[in-house]
Amino acid sequence: MKGPLAHSLRSPKVLIALSMIFCIATCAIFAGAVAPHEPGEQNLLAILTPPEWMPGGDPNYPLGTDSLGRCVLSRLIYGARTAMLVAFFASLGAMIIGSVLAHISGYFGGAVDWVIGRLVDIWMSFPPVILSLILMVGLGIGLGKVILAIILVDWTRFCRVLRSEVLVVTRHEYVAAARLLGFTHRQTIVREVLPATLPLLITLLSLEMAIAVVVEAILSFVGLGVSADQPAWGQMIADARQYVYQSPSNLLLPIAAICFTVMAFNLLGDGLRRSLDVRLMETGH
Amino acid sequence: MAAALQACDLVVDARIGDALVPVIRDLSFELQAGKILGLIGESGAGKSMVGRAVAQLLPQGFAITAGALFFEGKDLLKMPPAHRRFLLGRAIGFIPQAPLTALNPVLTIGAQFDEHLARLGCTSSRERRQSAVAMLEAARLPRPSDLLRCYPHQLSGGMCQRVLIAMAFASDPRLVIADEPTTALDVTLHAPIIRLIADMQRRHRTAVLFITHDLRLAAQICDDVIVMYAGRAVESGPARAVLSNPAHPYTRCLQLANPSMQGDCRALYVMPEQMPSLRQLAGMSGCHFAPRCPLAMEDCQRVAPPDQTIAPGRRAACLHVATTPSIAAKAPAAMAASAAARPVLALEGVHKRYIVRAGLLGTARIVTAVKNASFSIRENEFVALVGESGSGKSTIARLLVGLEQPDAGRILLNGEDVGSASARNHDLRTKSLQMVFQDPYSALNPRRRIASIVTQAMEAGSRHADWDQRLARTRDLLAEVGLPSDLATRFPHQLSGGQRQRINIARALCTLPTVLIADEIVSGLDVSIQAQLLNLLARLRAELGFAMLFISHDLSAVRFLCSRVLVMYRGEIVEEGPTETVFADPRHSHTRALVSSVPPDNPEAPWPAFDVAQPTV
Repeated sequence: MKGPLAHSLRSPKVLIALSMIFCIATCAIFAGAVAPHEPGEQNLLAILTPPEWMPGGDPNYPLGTDSLGRCVLSRLIYGARTAMLVAFFASLGAMIIGSVLAHISGYFGGAVDWVIGRLVDIWMSFPPVILSLILMVGLGIGLGKVILAIILVDWTRFCRVLRSEVLVVTRHEYVAAARLLGFTHRQTIVREVLPATLPLLITLLSLEMAIAVVVEAILSFVGLGVSADQPAWGQMIADARQYVYQSPSNLLLPIAAICFTVMAFNLLGDGLRRSLDVRLMETGH
Repeated sequence: MAAALQACDLVVDARIGDALVPVIRDLSFELQAGKILGLIGESGAGKSMVGRAVAQLLPQGFAITAGALFFEGKDLLKMPPAHRRFLLGRAIGFIPQAPLTALNPVLTIGAQFDEHLARLGCTSSRERRQSAVAMLEAARLPRPSDLLRCYPHQLSGGMCQRVLIAMAFASDPRLVIADEPTTALDVTLHAPIIRLIADMQRRHRTAVLFITHDLRLAAQICDDVIVMYAGRAVESGPARAVLSNPAHPYTRCLQLANPSMQGDCRALYVMPEQMPSLRQLAGMSGCHFAPRCPLAMEDCQRVAPPDQTIAPGRRAACLHVATTPSIAAKAPAAMAASAAARPVLALEGVHKRYIVRAGLLGTARIVTAVKNASFSIRENEFVALVGESGSGKSTIARLLVGLEQPDAGRILLNGEDVGSASARNHDLRTKSLQMVFQDPYSALNPRRRIASIVTQAMEAGSRHADWDQRLARTRDLLAEVGLPSDLATRFPHQLSGGQRQRINIARALCTLPTVLIADEIVSGLDVSIQAQLLNLLARLRAELGFAMLFISHDLSAVRFLCSRVLVMYRGEIVEEGPTETVFADPRHSHTRALVSSVPPDNPEAPWPAFDVAQPTV
């Protein structure tokens, strides 16, 4: 039997999603080499130039410039770096907190489960975007703060969904059998329960990355995201909003970048969900 | 008059990959009105497919490819679907295997009965109600008018089955198909339910197609039987004649594989391997039973045996019918009686309660699962714990291994109290106590390979055995439970149910425990697989020497394996003693009910629980 992860690589959805993410990640990692200009470099002689192929376009600026004469393509590429950093670390952090609590809650049950369950209920009763805005006001702006805010808001998503999966797995007799063979609670959770919940965990992780990209864009859009000297897609949308009639492409391009990224992660999540489905796997198909 | 149901050379094929594999081959029978025809066989024999073929409810990929099915002379397969649907539920009734899943959980019994009667053409709702009450009364259900307001979950499994039997006979059908109607129920309910079906059948003069795996049950209720193996009828004839003097080796082996309830405790006949799967069937030639048959000769491998008449009304598909009676089980397994040994495990006045809370703020209800349980198990002794479901047997098992803690009383392991949940007690228990779980599917981690499962104890706690050591131990353990060592690298889903249960046992034996707790480990398995496991346990006791608490509701398995028996009823141990004494002379009324629920071995002998009118359960 091949591992379920290897199996999932045969799904066309997953393959398309992975190649999309590969493109974005390459831009993000090698931004310095790929981008034609520095993201903050201004050319006040060439502000709001249209993209290269439009009348009045400048081949120096393939996707045109913004109101301060900065290269839109370069800013999109550096913006990808911000988006990917947030997507990766925020979802990883939320996953770690959420899944640790979910496993403790679902495995031990009883009072522990009750306390964690109520904590999640209270946490989820705040609207997530408002909560993250309040957190940003309190924490101040910056890349690390954005990541922290998203972690603090979104761990509940992992916790709630995974807990029910942990409950199902824990009822299997092989989990009780592991305890009787002398496994400690920690060993039982890590070696018996976690491998069974891992497919769901990975699926949730990829969906959470899409959410993190959107939240980061929202926060940057209202100016409560990363600092002003760091390019971010949300910021670009906010800047372009004022000149939308002179240069609509400046508004549409970062939106397209966000859509592309979110679609890639959602597609990955959906493809993984289908090919990692535990129920299909246990019957041996 | 035409037979109620007649099959002529019926063939049902299943599509496996590109090939068509026959699930039922050339099945012919005639079921006359007012008779009961038994279809007997182990799982995978194709017996349920016959019932499904009548209803045309074959699973995906299965199809009737040849032959004919006549209902009172009319071909069911050629008639228009609307016509057939009209017959189903009216002239042809069904009694399902799992009564709780057959009823709609969100509708009351009354609503479901009403719907059924309305479909039968009863227009007045008052009349429908009256006839529903009358029919439930006929099914010997107490207070039928109250029952109509109940939801299925408020009734016991036995009551649900009675409701379904009442519904099946409501339309005065000419044919009823009963597919393992008692398998999902407690043993004490088998006799009353079977008696009810027989009563209803006599009253309505209905023909019944009775599908079962239980030879003794079939001998009691059926007029004729057909024994099926791998999709083929291997033997057929009058029930008592076939079962008291089987002509086909498979029937004979099946009978010898069933532990007896009367007379001397004999050894079980163990058929090797198991029934071929559909995939294996595709590549087989000759007699399909030949690979497991003790009498198989060279010609059996080549020639598919023709269906031949061996006596008036009796047919068998075997080339060597005459030699069948020579099949016999090997010498009886020596029962190790060791009365002088010291007790290894003891319970002293153990209580266990559960608090059940209805809703968020509902009042708490205390359910006593185990009440004042005291018993002990001596070294190398096999003790059985029997009782109906819900009597607290599994709670005792969970208390013993420490998955639950007692509210009062002591659990002594080698004289030390290990009742509480401390880490030290957990270590003590892990060393000398192991459990074999009931469900071989849920008990094995689907993501681990067999070698990793079997030697899982070697990676527990601070132990870190290297892989070579573990593989060596795996080879030993697999050999002990009679499995080939190349299974070590497989995953559980690649194994059959019987093989999985052996892995389950091997895992428990890895640390050489002194006591094994076995919770219903042979229950869900076929007779021939059960015989293999029972023999295996008897052999392992002789080789390795361990004590066992064998929890079961199957008294004949208990009688074969255990020297002492504890009877549990509603959380209390109501009777205890040597197996032979308890079964021969049961004192408590519940023990009597359990013992009488097993049909006699001899097909000619009367079954008191079946014949005598008893109060309804």
